[in-house]
Amino acid sequence: MANSYQSPVGVTNRFNGALRRGGFIRGMDWVLVSAVLLLLVIGAILVSAGTRNWYAAAGLDPNYYLKRHLINIVVGLVLGIATMLFDYRLLRAYTPILWGIAFLGLVAVLIPGIGSTIHGAKAWITLPGGYSVEPGEFAKVAVIAGMAMLLAERREGEKDPKARDVAQSLIIAALPMILIMLQPDLGTVMILSASVLVVIAISGASWKWVAGLILLACIGSVGAVKLHVLHDYQIKRLQSFVDPKADPQQSGYQLRQARITIGSGGMLGKGLYKGPQTNGRFVPEQQTDFIFTVAGEELGFVGSASVIGLFGVILWRAGRIARRSTDLFGRLVAGGIMAWFAFQIFENVGMAMGLMPMTGVPLPLLSYGGTSLFAVLIGVGLLENVHIGRA
Amino acid sequence: MIKDMRPRIRGLFLVSLIVMSIFTARLVQVQGFQADAYAARAARELRSSATLPAVRGDITDVNGVVLARSVEAVNITVDQTLVGDPTAAAEAIAPLLGLTAPEVALKLTGIRRFAYVAKNVTPQIWDSVKSAILDLNKTRSIEKRVSGFYAEKTFHREYPAGPLAASVLGFVNASGHGGGGIEYALDRSLAGVDGSYIFDSGGGAAIPSANDVLVAAKPGRTIRLTINRDIQWVAQKEIDAQVKASGALSGTAIVMDPQTGAILALASAPGYDPNDVSKTPISLLGIPAVDEVYEPGSTGKVMTLSAALEEKVVTPTTIFNVPYKLKRGDRTFHDDEKHATWQLTTAGILAKSSNVGAIQVGEKMSHATLRNYLSRFGIGQLTGVGLPGETAGLFLPVDKWSQSSARTFAFGQGYSLTAMQATSVFAAVANDGVRVVPTLIAGMSDADGHYTSSAMRPGVRVISAETARTMRLMMEGVVSAGGTAPAAQIVGYRVAGKTGTANRVDNTCSCYRGYTASFIGFAPADKPALVMSVTIQDPKGIHFGGLLGAPIFKKVISFALKSLSIPPTGQAPTPIPLDAQQLAKVSAVTASGSAVKP
Repeated sequence: MANSYQSPVGVTNRFNGALRRGGFIRGMDWVLVSAVLLLLVIGAILVSAGTRNWYAAAGLDPNYYLKRHLINIVVGLVLGIATMLFDYRLLRAYTPILWGIAFLGLVAVLIPGIGSTIHGAKAWITLPGGYSVEPGEFAKVAVIAGMAMLLAERREGEKDPKARDVAQSLIIAALPMILIMLQPDLGTVMILSASVLVVIAISGASWKWVAGLILLACIGSVGAVKLHVLHDYQIKRLQSFVDPKADPQQSGYQLRQARITIGSGGMLGKGLYKGPQTNGRFVPEQQTDFIFTVAGEELGFVGSASVIGLFGVILWRAGRIARRSTDLFGRLVAGGIMAWFAFQIFENVGMAMGLMPMTGVPLPLLSYGGTSLFAVLIGVGLLENVHIGRA
Repeated sequence: MIKDMRPRIRGLFLVSLIVMSIFTARLVQVQGFQADAYAARAARELRSSATLPAVRGDITDVNGVVLARSVEAVNITVDQTLVGDPTAAAEAIAPLLGLTAPEVALKLTGIRRFAYVAKNVTPQIWDSVKSAILDLNKTRSIEKRVSGFYAEKTFHREYPAGPLAASVLGFVNASGHGGGGIEYALDRSLAGVDGSYIFDSGGGAAIPSANDVLVAAKPGRTIRLTINRDIQWVAQKEIDAQVKASGALSGTAIVMDPQTGAILALASAPGYDPNDVSKTPISLLGIPAVDEVYEPGSTGKVMTLSAALEEKVVTPTTIFNVPYKLKRGDRTFHDDEKHATWQLTTAGILAKSSNVGAIQVGEKMSHATLRNYLSRFGIGQLTGVGLPGETAGLFLPVDKWSQSSARTFAFGQGYSLTAMQATSVFAAVANDGVRVVPTLIAGMSDADGHYTSSAMRPGVRVISAETARTMRLMMEGVVSAGGTAPAAQIVGYRVAGKTGTANRVDNTCSCYRGYTASFIGFAPADKPALVMSVTIQDPKGIHFGGLLGAPIFKKVISFALKSLSIPPTGQAPTPIPLDAQQLAKVSAVTASGSAVKP
């Protein structure tokens, strides 16, 4: 991934006549861009609101998280813009390299000494200078692009992807998913599953494939529970979702606190930086996985519903880009990204409101965390790329 | 041409839209309809309360010298989830707390939101811990910063004079309440009332809000004892030395003002340091002066003779034939030392401390009369001094007496009392026959400094002032060269007293084994200002009260008379004749004289 935006190859031609009719600036989906930028701004505010008083009380730099988050946004935007400007045809050519890098990253995290464990998942590679990357996030982009590439390679006259193409694309998806399962990061696996399902579904493959995959997913989840593949804490999280009293100390407590925090915000919220529940840090990880609760308490229904609305706009535009794409690769990429965003948003917001079981996934564009933000902005860049490429 | 997949994408978006709508509906439910309920739960959760400990009152001596005080201290607590790097933090603060790094690391490691790191450290140590953590953080990356340390304000009890008067003061236990002595007896006055602070908090930090409720702590009252620190110091030093020198089990010294009952010194040996009772054996934590009983022996003869004089069955010069042995019923009683038959006056019986003589005096009264006097002297009753664990001693009613009871009672055996009761008996004689309640409390002052003296409790008249005066004259004979306690003499002062060398009941065998040596006296004898008792339990070697107790009396009372500026009184009177020979001499003198009372 890191190589693709640094490379000048293919970037230049997009600048030629950028402002002309049909040029890339006019060709961009500005509604999508506006929604993304607005959410980035809201996210920065929420990250600050979720951490400022906490850090100040500990005698630390109150803007520690905000500063780092803003740096992440800038880096993410650069990555996103570079992705957007990348030559559409070269994008397909580079996909195997992207997939290979993501795959190696996922292997690396499992090697002791390279990967570090945070919250029970070996998902991180620690870099010097206090930075760390999460290859699983980039794997989302790689799997979607990889599948799209394979499914879009079709001989002239073929209407549907052949079974062999579908199977190949499933292998492309399954390999990283198995590695992520080993970390274990159930949330990311679920998001990838949703994306895989949607990419297959809109590739023109037979509905039998779709039905089969759903069936497989069901069998897989039941089997995972029955065969004790899941860790104790994962089962507890699932139990807490069904019965909050099952694990009152840990996950049950967190889910209850999240709901109390959101609920106490009421219609208009307590005001930025003024949420007592947020400042008291009753909800853990409120700058990352539970950032929606900060919006809930401090910005109230008005604020949190607006956030959901903005996410709706993003999904609407992603769907629109997918529908309007004249080329199968673009459509599959856009559709896959839409599914990824949608499922990640559903999982995160649903968890905060007690509608989904607890899985540690960040809220796209809002949560603190560099790798997730980079991956999502690259995803947005891909959407724009497809959008511009359509013309 | 590829298949038209647009409907599927549209369908996908539709599904997303439905999910979004469900979320929005849920938001309406949680933040609209149930907002009040959640807000109430949030408020409950935020509510924290802290106890504001009340400062415990001081205990001072009669002159306001502080004997017990509470100083501000800090309990250092930790939120283990915020420490970040327990090993480094422990290494930084362990030396400041006088602990080893692994010990401290253990307290910092874990997921507990509240744990104690160190209790009762000085505010200075807390400051140095804080700055050590700041220094530590200077050189650390932000993720490894150490935080989560908090101070819980508390008070630490200090006894500046250490073991001095430990048995009177008592000590304070780990929960901050009195565990013995005055600390226990007056705990409610000393403790004050804790305040409370109800506030909003989260993540270990208070959140400023308008809902704070502060109830200030009410400080405890300062207790002013009747104890005089200087006299206490001398008494403690002397009793300590004597217990050690005589190999005794224990010893007690009490100095009392007979008119008010005020106790100026109460010293027990061996003692303990109330600053740290954790290593003190529990047997030492009592107050021997009120919780240890013994048979008084010869000091008890004071009561027998007082009763006989008051009942007018004898005069000071009534002559008794006192043989060495006396058979009564199935028992033979005898004096301490073998002697030919003496012809002693009543005064002589006291001075020589003759058991046989005391029996003869006692026999002049009915059992009920004797017991009645002992009872009025306070035998078998609590003194009311107000120290915890006081016992009344064993004192059987007449109908439970054996054949020999009346005889043994006459010379101070067969019943038991505490050193406090014994002192009180002599104080009654010293106070012209009125026994006042002994007390340790001069008064109390509240937090605003309003001082209230203790009200004096009414005394009981035991004998007439006349009888008391006669007894004092007779007791001066004890301290004379011919008596048992010349060692108690104080140059320039008239001193009276009585020795006791009693068989001691050993509880391990329920038999008599060893002795209780005692001396109780007062000075000046004709106008008593101070009564002092010295009781030595189970001395090895010399066991006579006149030899063990009297010298201590002399040293302590000499110092007390001087330091309290009590002037010497008049010249020594003509001593009361102790035997028939002296009496005959005095009679001859008076017969030849002209102006003599009949």
